[in-house]
Amino acid sequence: MNSRLVKYASIAVGIVALFVLPIIVRDRYFQHILVLSCIFVLLTSSWNLLAGYAGLLNLGHAAFYGIGAYSSALLAMNFNISPWLGFPIGGMVAAIFGILLAIPSLRLSGPYLVITTIGFSEIMRMVAMNWVSLTRGSLGLYGIPPLTPIKLSENLSIEFVSEQNAYYVVLIIVILTLCLMRKLLRSEFGITLKSIREDEMGSESIGINTSQYKLAVFMISTFFAGLAGSFYAHYVRLVSPEMLTLGETFAVLTMAMVGGLGTLSGPVVGAVLLTFLSEGLRFLAEIINIDIRLIIYGAMLMLTILFMRNGVVGLFTGLARYFYRKPGEKK
Amino acid sequence: MESLFLQQVLNGLIVGSVYSLIAIGLTMIFGVMRIANFAHGDFSMLGAYFAIYATALMTGLLGWVGSMVVAAIGVGIIGYFVERYLFRPLLSRWTDIDIIMMSIGLFIFLENIAQLIFGATPKMIMDPFHSNSINLFFFSTSVIRLLSFLLAIISIALLQVFLTRSKIGVAIRATSQNSNAALLMGVNIYFIYSLTFMVGSALAGLGGVLYGTIFAVFPTMGALPTLKAFAITILGGMGNIRGAIFGGFILGVAETLGGNYVSMEYKNSIGFVIVILVLLIIPQGLFGKKET
Amino acid sequence: MTILQGVNISKTFGGLCAVDNVSFELKADEILGLIGPNGAGKTTLINLISGFQSPDNGKILFREQDLTGLKPSTVNKKGISRTFQIIRIFPKLTTLDNVKSALVDRKTRNALRVAFDSLKKSEKNLATGQKGDLKAAELLEFVGLYDYRYELAENLPYAYCKRLEIARALATQPKILLLDEPSSGLNPKEQNDQISIIRKIHEQGIAILIIEHVMKVIMDISHRIMVLHYGKKIAEGTPREIYSNEKVVEAYLGGEAGAEH
Repeated sequence: MNSRLVKYASIAVGIVALFVLPIIVRDRYFQHILVLSCIFVLLTSSWNLLAGYAGLLNLGHAAFYGIGAYSSALLAMNFNISPWLGFPIGGMVAAIFGILLAIPSLRLSGPYLVITTIGFSEIMRMVAMNWVSLTRGSLGLYGIPPLTPIKLSENLSIEFVSEQNAYYVVLIIVILTLCLMRKLLRSEFGITLKSIREDEMGSESIGINTSQYKLAVFMISTFFAGLAGSFYAHYVRLVSPEMLTLGETFAVLTMAMVGGLGTLSGPVVGAVLLTFLSEGLRFLAEIINIDIRLIIYGAMLMLTILFMRNGVVGLFTGLARYFYRKPGEKK
Repeated sequence: MESLFLQQVLNGLIVGSVYSLIAIGLTMIFGVMRIANFAHGDFSMLGAYFAIYATALMTGLLGWVGSMVVAAIGVGIIGYFVERYLFRPLLSRWTDIDIIMMSIGLFIFLENIAQLIFGATPKMIMDPFHSNSINLFFFSTSVIRLLSFLLAIISIALLQVFLTRSKIGVAIRATSQNSNAALLMGVNIYFIYSLTFMVGSALAGLGGVLYGTIFAVFPTMGALPTLKAFAITILGGMGNIRGAIFGGFILGVAETLGGNYVSMEYKNSIGFVIVILVLLIIPQGLFGKKET
Repeated sequence: MTILQGVNISKTFGGLCAVDNVSFELKADEILGLIGPNGAGKTTLINLISGFQSPDNGKILFREQDLTGLKPSTVNKKGISRTFQIIRIFPKLTTLDNVKSALVDRKTRNALRVAFDSLKKSEKNLATGQKGDLKAAELLEFVGLYDYRYELAENLPYAYCKRLEIARALATQPKILLLDEPSSGLNPKEQNDQISIIRKIHEQGIAILIIEHVMKVIMDISHRIMVLHYGKKIAEGTPREIYSNEKVVEAYLGGEAGAEH
């Protein structure tokens, strides 16, 4: 009982701290990085659902990010649809494409799955680049309307152009998403996914229709990727085919791996860590005139797989288990 | 026009021969070690850069051929270290996610380190024939391209001889089919692993020189050949060398014809589309074995 | 009362006829043994019944319901569970979780439904929470693995893994249990334990079809035995009848030697 109280209290404190943070550190650039971190948390957690829990390597994740972004942007720009509505719609459009990719992917594994998802991603990117009448090609869409302000009274309304207010929105989205994922993964759905990851045939033998569940996870995962993309569209107010590059997916992949695949906190840790690292390295790059960010990403990924397979979170859990081991303790 | 069509076919075959070379390396490595190396194309890229420096030192036709030897050996050595220290520790693990992610990490690392060291501007491999072209019957092509084609074919043929006639080659093929049986027959598995990876990478390096000769050399040039090599090996069957050879030529021709008659911009996605369509119907590839 | 029926089942793999026009009946209250030299088609038959493969010809009927060609998960939902010759437990899950996974109610819900139900409190959520823990612990107790419930499945010794698979298979409340060589790789003591577990299962009213190579086990436990050889059924009868059946003896001695071990 006591430890539970401590746990809830620390979470509460943590959340308050997160909200207070941009008020303490008023630097706009810092606040921008906070927003980026949150977006990457969404991307990495959603990717982790597929990879860490269901064992499906989807290297087309960036495509859904981009699809959500373009959908929401186009709806806002051409049909005046409120960005607030654009979020879930962008997510759903991404999920529909997710189903499209899932169908051929269900029967594939290993490198076949990877290639198919990469292929899908590249095809989507080329569509974004070449269907100029819709997407304006490599120029991208700019001047996307920001989140519509919320009117409080005659003279008072909350705008969402500033980094700080945008941060609050995305922070709330992230918290809600993580809560939802937590419930999902600790539940029967979660244990089913883990079973599938461990042994598909064994899962089938106990009544798990693996295709159905994989499809469901694809939908959920791509939905949140699209959601993240939609938010990005109305925050940065510019989308381009760059969003659909494999490089974006690789960044997410690295974050998930470094943070810890197959846990809920892993992607969060990985996303925040690497976003800040990336920005820090950008400074360095400007000083020494060489961009070594991606080199470090690549090296980190390789080293993590070799020496720290379960990521940062895995490292800490392992240490904790070592020091606090009790026989027969529930994990 | 007929001759235009044939010309395109020839162009496709030339490009296809290079694709085959690269794909063979990939499929060999997968067949023997079950490693799907997404950084394979980067070995081609490294080979191409080896060649640039080699041809700067040794000029002319001899220099060009010599650069291929340098590239093959250089990349082979790099391949040894990659296999030994990056991939081999992972072979005993349960999942193949680790191996795939490792190769992705290697891919990111190599691409960007190359960018750092060599700079992003594309470079050309010195053409010893100074872009002279040659006319044969109905088609014309540059001498260097024709030579690349011939060299690719010769390399493939030599490899086939090695695999079928030499003791080590047979050992490689045996390991590819059944590593346990090979082990029981006295084959030194780790030696075969190293050798296969080195040969596969060397082939990629060699292919990279030819690829760089035909197109251009830049740090991110490895990505496309990797994906195409995968497309080819999936079509031909992962581990099936003959399939990789045919697949390479087929892709080369399909791309060239498709690029000319359908759409230039989507040329590179032809391979993907074909692969996805095939995998839709036959999840284990055209010649792959079904996992029981 | 017949609970499972196979009618003229055949299956060919690329030229090799694995199962050749086999018909059989399993009664609701019996243990039917399935024996035969290696490669006789026994596992294939189980794969066909459980849906992991579909027969080229013939039908499989579960209480008049046609199961032929259904997916494995569907077959399981109808009430047939199986174990595997090479165990397929979930290595990185605890023993308890291995069983809990099978307790999830999937008979009335599809994947999305399970996902939505996870987000709210629902009586359908049997597997999680205390109820699930209790039920899973019961099943583990049944096979004697209660003390290992928090252990990761991959750390269990081989014999316990086999039992875990049985416990997991039972969690879906099957009417029929298909056991594929549950005693292979076990020492005599473990084999005896396995026999008592299988007997207990039978007492619960579950019909059992069991493949075994260990003659001691199968002769001891089966009410009837069916013998396959090169995909064909060559004999059927009580253990005593089979033991002295000429064709059976010839199949074992003429084909694979040492089938007794």
